[in-house]
Amino acid sequence: MSDQNQMIETSRNSERPESHFLKEFDLLVENAAGGTAWIEHRHQAVKAFSSLGFPTKKTESYKYTPITKRVKSTLSNAVESEMRTSNRAFGDVSGIHLDTSNGVLSTGPLATSLPKGLTITTLQEEAKRENGVLHEHLSGAIVLDRDPFSALAAALTEDGILIHVATGAHIEQPIVIHHDRIAAAGFVQSRFLIVADAGSTLRIIEHFGHLDAGSAFENRVTEIIVGEGANLDHVLVYERSEEATFVNALFVEQGEGSIFKTNNITIGGGVVRNNLNFLPNAENCETHLNGLYIARGASHVDNHTLVDHAKPNCYSNELFKGIVADTATGVFNGKVLVRQDAQKTNAYQSSKSILLDRRARIFAKPELVIYADDVKCSHGATTGELDDEALFYLRSRGLRPDAARLLLLEAFARDVIDLVEVEDMREYLYDRLHQLLTNE
Amino acid sequence: MLSVKNLHVSIEEEGTKILRGINLTVNAGEVHAIMGPNGSGKSTLASVLAGKDGYSIDEGSVSFDGADLLEMAADERAREGLFLAFQYPVELPGVSTANFLKQAVKSVREHRGLDELSAGDFLKMMKEKAELVLLDPSLKSRSVNEGFSGGEKKRNEIFQLAMLDPKLAILDETDSGLDIDALRIVADGVNTLRNPDRSFVIITHYQRLLEFIVPDFVHVLLEGRIVLSGGKELALELEEKGYDWIKETHAQLT
Repeated sequence: MSDQNQMIETSRNSERPESHFLKEFDLLVENAAGGTAWIEHRHQAVKAFSSLGFPTKKTESYKYTPITKRVKSTLSNAVESEMRTSNRAFGDVSGIHLDTSNGVLSTGPLATSLPKGLTITTLQEEAKRENGVLHEHLSGAIVLDRDPFSALAAALTEDGILIHVATGAHIEQPIVIHHDRIAAAGFVQSRFLIVADAGSTLRIIEHFGHLDAGSAFENRVTEIIVGEGANLDHVLVYERSEEATFVNALFVEQGEGSIFKTNNITIGGGVVRNNLNFLPNAENCETHLNGLYIARGASHVDNHTLVDHAKPNCYSNELFKGIVADTATGVFNGKVLVRQDAQKTNAYQSSKSILLDRRARIFAKPELVIYADDVKCSHGATTGELDDEALFYLRSRGLRPDAARLLLLEAFARDVIDLVEVEDMREYLYDRLHQLLTNE
Repeated sequence: MLSVKNLHVSIEEEGTKILRGINLTVNAGEVHAIMGPNGSGKSTLASVLAGKDGYSIDEGSVSFDGADLLEMAADERAREGLFLAFQYPVELPGVSTANFLKQAVKSVREHRGLDELSAGDFLKMMKEKAELVLLDPSLKSRSVNEGFSGGEKKRNEIFQLAMLDPKLAILDETDSGLDIDALRIVADGVNTLRNPDRSFVIITHYQRLLEFIVPDFVHVLLEGRIVLSGGKELALELEEKGYDWIKETHAQLT
């Protein structure tokens, strides 16, 4: 390496990682399209990002997750322009299939052959429509000062995906989104807006398929607006290769009498952080938040959830399960907040995890903060090894130790998969689970 | 079939001595009852024979069909033909009874050099064996023991016994917590499964079960030793006189 190169290396290393993105932002907005309101919001987002900065060792919410190290290493790796494509799973699921490339629709806006009331388009395309969905809802649910990564994605994303269901439309077939192409290294910032108008129903399946993602760092923010009486079911399955990083922010706002359900399944990746935020900001909302993660090798899976009950008579149920093997780490931080006005709230949270190796680690922190006095809330977190009594029972029937362990682990994890409503997907996940637990 | 010689066992962590020199020989086709007051070591004997962890074998030997039982892992013992009906059957949420038994039957049959059952034959066998103990067919599709009543759990143990076709079955307080009807069902199931090749060791606190499953031999376990052995009439004597009688006699002898 020449002296000059070394100097460049050194100066790059000493630079704060934030400045790289601030510069990128300045370059992007000079030529940005998308309407002034959106651009104005991107300015706010970059401001929020700049003042938050990337997490440091002192940042409580990232205490166990060395994410800034991943940011730096991604920055210092050469960006390959080569695109990688994953094998397409769920291809057989009957539904409306979409593909993305670096987080944007590969196909561009879809105008034709969609059921009545359903719009699937790009954010840029929608921004051209005055009084369109984008103007009404984009940035409506996101809380910019909560997390630097969601602010960053909101600032830098030039385009994104919009799915909109009109009032009263019932979309029978699920929308299956295959996030199956990304560049093999560098950052992918993406943005997703889902709007289900009053009384509509919609089911969305997202798959971040296994692909050799190199050290790719996917950072994305999704806003979901569930209108009055609407019913939205969301499933996300993440299974990138073991070097990849994924920071996934979800902000869900619910209207009166609406039902929202998400199943978040992390069975791949190197460092994964889910920031899942639920704001049932109206009465009689129902929120179901289910998660399953399997962390193996040296991987690190961190689920941070917040259910913020602000209005009375709502119900939320959260179930997270994790299996942590080898030298992997699992983190669960689940906060349920019941504000003073939120009387008659029923909020339940349960987090269960199993450690398969003495070197594996789990940090679990359930938090229940209640200001209202007439509520039913419970939470529980358990972490442990497989139950010896149960193992002995199975072995006393002739099952070999690994078969007994497998049976118990599959039963443990299937509990969450059982809650996925599309049968083909459940079958796929049962198979993947079996493969992962048997190291096939 | 089973030969226990001078078996001394203590609890691994505490070092508390539980069994202090058990001698017991069970021949093929015989039914032995082991009775004794609480804390005499009955369940420890069952657990040690089945291969549960947490016990230290301080002395003695156990041979099963000529092989050293204590050298075998718990699952190996099961494949070799030893079955333990648990006093407290374990609930396994999410593990379907059918799936669990399919695997258990498969591993046992494989070990014995038998062909794998076809799916149809397996289901037929499940149905037949469940009928032995009047087990509701729907229980088979439910999770193992989850939400079962006490009686259902015990019947499920006998059902599994029938499925796995062991050479030696140890019933650990199978009568505890059963009402008279359930007791009769369990006993009928066991009696149907008696044959010249299969032996039973029935561990019980009360004589009641032995009215229905008539043993060939009765042994009294006291403070980790078998202090008295006899025929089925010994059980009646115990019922009448209680364990204190034995304790006194035993104390005089030692």
